[in-house]
Amino acid sequence: MSEAQVTKSQAVIVRDPGHTAMQLEDVAVSFNGRVAVRDATFDIAKNRVTSLIGPSGSGKTTLLRALNRLHDLTPGAKVSGRIVLEGTDIYRGDMTVTELRTRVGMVFQRPNPFPTMSIYDNVVSGLRFNGIKKKSLLDEAAETSLRSAALWDSVESRLKVAASNLSGGEQQRLCIARALAMDPEVLLMDEPTSALDPIATLKIEELMTTLKERVTIIIVTHNMQQAARISDDCAFLLMGEDRAGELIEFDTTEKIFNNPNDPRTLDYTLGRFG
Amino acid sequence: MNDLTQLEEPTEIDQSMREEIRRVSHATRARRLLISRVMTTLCALTLAVTAVPLVLLLFQLIKRGAPELTWTFFTKVPETPSLIAPNATGGLSNAILGSIALNIYAAILAIPVGVLVGVYLAESLSKFASALRIIAQTMAGAPSILMGLFAFSFVLQDLHVGFSAIAGSFALAVLMLPVIIIATEIAVLNVPNTLREAGLALGAKPHKVSMRVVIPSALTGIVTGCILAISRAIGETAPVLLVIGGGYLNTWKPLSPVSALPLSIYENAKSEWPSQRAQVWGAALLLVIFVFILSLTARIWASRKQKVSN
Repeated sequence: MSEAQVTKSQAVIVRDPGHTAMQLEDVAVSFNGRVAVRDATFDIAKNRVTSLIGPSGSGKTTLLRALNRLHDLTPGAKVSGRIVLEGTDIYRGDMTVTELRTRVGMVFQRPNPFPTMSIYDNVVSGLRFNGIKKKSLLDEAAETSLRSAALWDSVESRLKVAASNLSGGEQQRLCIARALAMDPEVLLMDEPTSALDPIATLKIEELMTTLKERVTIIIVTHNMQQAARISDDCAFLLMGEDRAGELIEFDTTEKIFNNPNDPRTLDYTLGRFG
Repeated sequence: MNDLTQLEEPTEIDQSMREEIRRVSHATRARRLLISRVMTTLCALTLAVTAVPLVLLLFQLIKRGAPELTWTFFTKVPETPSLIAPNATGGLSNAILGSIALNIYAAILAIPVGVLVGVYLAESLSKFASALRIIAQTMAGAPSILMGLFAFSFVLQDLHVGFSAIAGSFALAVLMLPVIIIATEIAVLNVPNTLREAGLALGAKPHKVSMRVVIPSALTGIVTGCILAISRAIGETAPVLLVIGGGYLNTWKPLSPVSALPLSIYENAKSEWPSQRAQVWGAALLLVIFVFILSLTARIWASRKQKVSN
């Protein structure tokens, strides 16, 4: 049954390969043998926002973190299946984890600017980690990224101030700028607005819509309206009977919210559970 | 409407029940108030019992020590009193200089190693790290004379270095190590994991994340731990007793025999001359002042950095 569904979804989604940023084939993540998420097969389209939705425990965040190999450091974590970035398998191909992470950036649930660094140092930290020292280059990257994160105007005069002086929403946009400074192809966002107030949330959402012109965005969100508002494609995950999350349906956001194939998807998006 | 009027008019059972509740809760309150007062008084008494000896000690220390802290005390080396000049004790400049030199060398030896090991313990999950952690914790509680014996047998006998400042510093460094290791490990463990992930997600190698993100974020705790380690070492007699040789000259050369304030206290307290025994109080007061300054620095440092990171 699930096979038929996947083909059906892909029939709608399939584009020519040049338009695919990442491909997931039968991806599963387990911790010490306990499966946390499985059966994830879908293509992430370039320059679109893809949202991962589903109730708590459905493995959204676990799946997202597999996309830039953040599970590597967790003892007992195992990722199986294939995750392909521009033709290279990110786990088995000849791509170092460092290179992968410079190409697939990440923004976390809570704003996490480096507390001992200034605003400027935070933005260019990724470049510095990767050995870039030339001042003119760093200056340019800092300005461009802060502009892209809609933060430049409010911090231009205080770049040397500690990042912890910014408000929560500004800190999160700083984290976005920090990720953008690496000029990534894909930006992973793990519930980036869950710790923010509605106005700060709105700013981040507006940002995503403009950012997708230059970077592919994959976002995990608990907020159904947010997924409906900002995402183009949508993956719905659900916890199975053995407490492992699995992909129920992947399609365009419009289809997922209006006319999904699986009745459980409809139940969830209508707020009947979860 | 009828129901409401009925409610307003309590029956007799309700009335007596209400009174009962009122009476019992009143009695309970009175009993609790009494217990509370007794306990408060007890707390105040125990506080007095603890504070009195401390205050007396400090009072005695200042009363007998302050007059000893003269210009001579700080600038002259010790002399042996004689029948002609029973008060000619000289000063303890050699011991002051020796104590400072010993602790600086010990800090130079212990801090880099201790911090690196602490970071390693916090960031590594290997069995070797767990073994190291147990060793550090055991060493933290080991009697300090052990470090002196170790320095004696290792530095003096095995390495054939004579009685010297560096031998004493070695003993003090071994004493400082576990304190620094444990403080560093705790400080590093307290750095939120999300900061490490942020660094890794930017394509940084784990050692870069440790150096540029984790250690700077843990610096407050690390520095505080180092200062406390020094303030513990500065007052120790036992580790230096066997190995520094008790030199009578003003020197900070690592290979020369030196003296130290705790050692002078130990030596002078056994003296037959009252003037030398009196000098002990000056040395003791000076040591307490050193420790006070060090722990004050640690406190100020810790609170100052906290303000910045919040």
